[in-house]
Amino acid sequence: MAYILLRDLDIPDIGKLDVYTTNGGWEGFKKAVTQHTPEEVINIVIDSNLRGRGGAGFSAGRKWSFIPKNEPVKYVVVNADESEPGTFKDRQIMEKNPYQLIEGAMICAYAIQATAVYIYCRGEFWDLAHNLEACIAEAREQNLIGQNILGGNWSCDMFVHLGAGAYICGEESALLNSLQGFLGQPRVRPPFPAQKGGGLYYEPTVVNNVETLANVPWILVNGAAEYKKIGTPESPGPKIFSVSGHVARPGNYEVPLGTTFRELLFDKAGGTGTNKAFKALLPSGASGPVIPVTEQMLDTPMTYEALGKLGSTLGSASFILMDESTDMVWAAYKMIKFFKHESCGKCTPCREGTHWLAKLMEHVIHGEATMLDLEKLENVAKQMNGKSLCALNDFAINPILATLKHFRSEYVAYIKTPAPAAKPKQPAPVKKQLEEVAEPAGD
Amino acid sequence: MVTIYIDGVGYEVPAGTNLVDVAKFYADNDIPVFCYHPKMAPVGMCRMCLVEMGSVEKDKESGTVLLDEQGSPKIRWMPKMQTACTQTVYDGLAIRTNTQQVTEAREDIVEFLLTSHPLDCPICDKGGECPLQNLTMRHGPGVSVFYFEDKMHLAKHVPLGELIYLDRERCIQCARCIRFSDELAGDDVLAFHERGRALQIVTVSDPPFDSKFSGNTTDICPVGALTTADFRFGARPWELKEVPSIDPYGPEGANISLSTRLDRDSGGGIIIKRVMPRQNEHVNEIWISDKTRFGHHHTRHIDRLVTPLHREKNTLIETTWDKAFKQIIDKLKGATSVGAIAGPGLSNEDLWELRQLVLAVGGSEKSLGIWPATMSGGEVVKQVGIAKGSNFNTMGKGTVIVLVATDLEEEAPIWWLRAKAARDRGATVVVLNGRPTKMDRYAKFSLRHEYGDAVGAINSLTAHIVNGNHHKADRAEGFAELQKALKKVKADDRYAAAAEAIAGADNVVVFCGAEGVTLAQHAELMQACANVLILTGHVGRTNNGLIPVWPGANTQGAIDLGYTAEATAELLQNPPAVLIVAGCNPVGEDIAAANLRNADFVIVTSQFDTATTAIADVVLPQQSFAEREGTFTSGERRVQRFYAAQGVIGESFPDWKIFAQVRHAIDKSTAKVSAGAVMAEITKSVAAYSAMGYKNLAQVERQFPDVGGTDQYYGGTAYQNTGGIGVQWPVSAENAEAKLNVVPVSSEKSKAKGLLVVPTTLLYDRGMLFVRSEIMSLRIPPAHANFSPADAQKLKLQDGDMVEINLEGASLTVQIIVNETIPAGVITLPKCLSDQPGPFAPMVAGSIEKVAQALAATGD
Amino acid sequence: MGLINGLMTTIKHVLQEKATFQYPEVERPVRERYKGRHALKRYDNGMEKCIGCALCAAACPADAIWVEAAENTDDERYSPGERYAKTYEINMLRCIFCGYCEDACPTEAIVLEHEYKLSFTDRRDSIYTKDMLIDPVPPGGQDTPHQVEPHSYDRPIPDMENPK
Repeated sequence: MAYILLRDLDIPDIGKLDVYTTNGGWEGFKKAVTQHTPEEVINIVIDSNLRGRGGAGFSAGRKWSFIPKNEPVKYVVVNADESEPGTFKDRQIMEKNPYQLIEGAMICAYAIQATAVYIYCRGEFWDLAHNLEACIAEAREQNLIGQNILGGNWSCDMFVHLGAGAYICGEESALLNSLQGFLGQPRVRPPFPAQKGGGLYYEPTVVNNVETLANVPWILVNGAAEYKKIGTPESPGPKIFSVSGHVARPGNYEVPLGTTFRELLFDKAGGTGTNKAFKALLPSGASGPVIPVTEQMLDTPMTYEALGKLGSTLGSASFILMDESTDMVWAAYKMIKFFKHESCGKCTPCREGTHWLAKLMEHVIHGEATMLDLEKLENVAKQMNGKSLCALNDFAINPILATLKHFRSEYVAYIKTPAPAAKPKQPAPVKKQLEEVAEPAGD
Repeated sequence: MVTIYIDGVGYEVPAGTNLVDVAKFYADNDIPVFCYHPKMAPVGMCRMCLVEMGSVEKDKESGTVLLDEQGSPKIRWMPKMQTACTQTVYDGLAIRTNTQQVTEAREDIVEFLLTSHPLDCPICDKGGECPLQNLTMRHGPGVSVFYFEDKMHLAKHVPLGELIYLDRERCIQCARCIRFSDELAGDDVLAFHERGRALQIVTVSDPPFDSKFSGNTTDICPVGALTTADFRFGARPWELKEVPSIDPYGPEGANISLSTRLDRDSGGGIIIKRVMPRQNEHVNEIWISDKTRFGHHHTRHIDRLVTPLHREKNTLIETTWDKAFKQIIDKLKGATSVGAIAGPGLSNEDLWELRQLVLAVGGSEKSLGIWPATMSGGEVVKQVGIAKGSNFNTMGKGTVIVLVATDLEEEAPIWWLRAKAARDRGATVVVLNGRPTKMDRYAKFSLRHEYGDAVGAINSLTAHIVNGNHHKADRAEGFAELQKALKKVKADDRYAAAAEAIAGADNVVVFCGAEGVTLAQHAELMQACANVLILTGHVGRTNNGLIPVWPGANTQGAIDLGYTAEATAELLQNPPAVLIVAGCNPVGEDIAAANLRNADFVIVTSQFDTATTAIADVVLPQQSFAEREGTFTSGERRVQRFYAAQGVIGESFPDWKIFAQVRHAIDKSTAKVSAGAVMAEITKSVAAYSAMGYKNLAQVERQFPDVGGTDQYYGGTAYQNTGGIGVQWPVSAENAEAKLNVVPVSSEKSKAKGLLVVPTTLLYDRGMLFVRSEIMSLRIPPAHANFSPADAQKLKLQDGDMVEINLEGASLTVQIIVNETIPAGVITLPKCLSDQPGPFAPMVAGSIEKVAQALAATGD
Repeated sequence: MGLINGLMTTIKHVLQEKATFQYPEVERPVRERYKGRHALKRYDNGMEKCIGCALCAAACPADAIWVEAAENTDDERYSPGERYAKTYEINMLRCIFCGYCEDACPTEAIVLEHEYKLSFTDRRDSIYTKDMLIDPVPPGGQDTPHQVEPHSYDRPIPDMENPK
């Protein structure tokens, strides 16, 4: 089957405008502009049940439909701040197949009758940003972007903006703040970006992920019904999975949603490539709760719903694999340090909580912790849960809570100091006590 | 009004208000907050105000509230807790604040905040009035499992400018200071730097923290992270005695609280340790300018005069009160003519007793002058002054605020702050001036006119209003004449849109200053403003009318008691035989006052040695505002009391007492023994002041937001108003029957040729009282004049050159600043920056000579 | 019989050890926890322990303590923290020797010692100033103010911890 998103694998030169055009490029856009009203385009995308590929999995078409019709100024913002650890799917699209993103963004812009499109790239993507700018300039020459597009009344320009390398700017309202030149901190919602007062420059704004928009041209050309044939009814369409870590063949894999883990991890990525077995998987970069790799898990189809049932999320679908040799405590420590570094500092629980968790994990790693500290880790994480403006706070506690839940014994192994007894009336010998706790006695 | 449910109880509250505010005001339910402040937009960052939130379920068809079995409304609760501070109330909103979940959330947030907060409450200036302390006591977990060694160690002594210090460890990143400077003061001077736990406050302006309102950030800081250089470690808050007082500098009548304490270094007397704002939502809300906050040092300055002085063999030597009185009484009894010039800081009681004295020794109202004598128009104010009960807090959409010939931020910073806040709520701002000022950034109409043509500019507005038939002449007496005169006015098209906005507005407030106009022109300018207000019907109603931007704290009071600037002008021209100069320094400030040397006998009451005491025959030590009781009348005609706060310095007396004693010796009248008794007499004699007895003035009312007391967490450390909110006197326009005078005003420009020197007012000047606050010395600019680039080029002058400007016989050496905002043909010369007197009225410059090159001169 | 009983008591007491002391020649020893005159303590290097927080004054039920604080600088450092007591006075006529000041002190700077011989001939003499209250500089220490290297003392209060 031909690729839909990673078309560069089929047509190596698709990054050139003429190659893209001769291979069916811009057809979806032309069809949308010349044959459909904006409302029809939105309805097609709603029908296709295309779900946002950024992480939350919200219906893209419905998001577009929230934009008020009568506002004179509206924006489309492309979230190309791909900063989730282990995620590199958007990068490949922008690098190899940029026109598909540009076309998708323009279809979205047409659907909501936007006045401008901004592509917000993470700071490290500066070469991609220059490339995108060149692509946009070429498309502008062809009257696909700019004034009176394709001879009609609608005008819309496209700009590329570079961030300064903050993870939090992948959060849509922080992204908008950053785009406006403010500190990259999330905004209070409501008003939501789609509402007047909540978007870019306080105008209604659609914020979509690169991969989401890259799906759109295909949907316009082939229709919603065709699209829904790919994947599962709840999660239709192709999905790029970024696979990295302890696998034989790391990389981006485009497979329909609903493919099982086994198929992706073994058939495509080739297993660990060593004689070690998989131990655990981070399904969504650092932000999703870690899942232990089990036989049952390997047979789970990869959809938004199924991963919810596993107690995790599909998120950005960037799988970081860890084999048996991995120290899960060390991994959790790395991740909490990451979140501590990336917390924007706006909300108290996240700013102080990540700092505290990192300190506690430091004690654990250095062997200075006691059993009480493990309890403390859990308590602090729970104390943070659900108390902040954006999701970073809740992401930050995932690595701790999930590793504590699934790999508690590894934590216990780190504890060298005799624990002050949790129940003081049991003056049991230290060794015995450790064994007792080491048993998987739930959380 | 909408119904909301707090902990199961329904409350009727105004729609569109903030949930934290209404919970506090209507339900007496204190939702704890750190980052939220009732004067600023919510940001929801501290997460302290998390509550369970939900909506009442309503029947879809009938809209009636569904009830459960117990008969209380059914509520659909949200799964997660929400921040109350970011929630606007709507009908059917329900919150729970007393559940375990909420209590635990509060404990959690306090614990998180304390993980990085140092345990230095014992030495913290905020300790004892600290929101974090209070809320920790109220909502904290009591214990923390955080390891003490894991605490952050950050810089504790970071100067944000020379006035404010930042303690990075104590900061809880609530952004109140950033938001205040940005949103309210309009000064982009503070910002966050870095992110996460490293997030910190930095100043981004040069000079650092360059704001006239910087001190307010220390009040609203919910921890002791921001402290003032003035008070740092001065005392513990509980040791201070708060005395209600009034700002002695500005016409806004800002309410302040003087924090006083005994002090060893000051000989064991009571001194002012700091000045804090006192809440008065009608006047200054909870803000004061840095001039008010840090300008109190004159009250106990080492140079204060402590004994009377009299002239003997051409030098002033110390004498006793008895001898000084005897001399004064002798002179006054035989005087052929008597005159008095009253300073801007004299209380109504002082002014009254001075007036009575002058009248008793043969003077008339024509010999009662005010200082500074730059503004006229007391009669106009009596008619169309801003109506009683007006409040900038209630201005917003539909209000037009007009600024005429004033640089409001420099002249009356609190009015500027409040007018700007009204503008942010939707009011339209119109600025008419000869040069751009800070308010122009926020103005919808920035209208430039030639200096000297302010009256013409207003006439243009009037002409547009009348020509466009926007006027209502029903209350205007003399409209026919005005109409006839307006026919000759060529209405400038640039004013058309502004005129329409003014005519169509619900409310109009006009601030009238005196920048670039002479005293005679100013009388016309005030009348011109009155014409606009009367013809558009914007008089006599709340939030409508004229506010003169008086030059002093009690200029309005002086005018109410019969003093005029015109009398001063006359006294300067023809000095009387015996002249009393009370609490001001005309000779040192204004070149036009040089003539006063010709008076036979000059009596001066003063706190300091000045150029005016140098020409005096008798100098009497005067008490500062902090040592005595009295009243000031603000530019909004609000009479307000201030109370005695600090110990008396030397043998000084309040002016009213001095003048009452002298009069007693002359006409055997009963000398009043208290300021209250003087005010009692004023209430009987001056109709407008009939309700101004001290008891009335001391009345307080519940204000919103609640600030002070145990509620410091909420509005900051502004102090509760215990001294009285004051009483306004009504203007005649408030009587619906009263006819109001519209008078044609001449808009002739002065015809003199040459560079026009326009004196301007700066907030931080070298006035005789303010200059004693050394802490502010870096903020007072050197004596300078602003030249337009064109004029500078013509005169071959460069930025930084020192020049000598000759003006009507006097000369003034200043540094020049080439400033693009100054129109060609004009030099703006800030008043009171130099030791030499300067002009107080615009005048044509004589020769201008360069005395030093730029580089050599910039050292100052 | 009554007489004998009375005499017996007398004889018994004559034989007992004397309860009185020939003060001022002989001084009665005081108990370890006796609360006498206050002393302001120093660290071993001579730095003052008092940080001028005035909590002792706040705790004082007799309003006997008067503190005025000032800020330390690296050139003139009196205490290790940010602040020190510029003026520290106790009015011994007012003091009731309850020891609340000792409890309130966060740095253990004020201690009620064993000195009890307080007498004055003038009311004004009852005010003990900082010079009179502060301990002598310990051997090896240096009298305040110290001149120290910049940033060698950057803590607000030395060794303040969570209450355990």
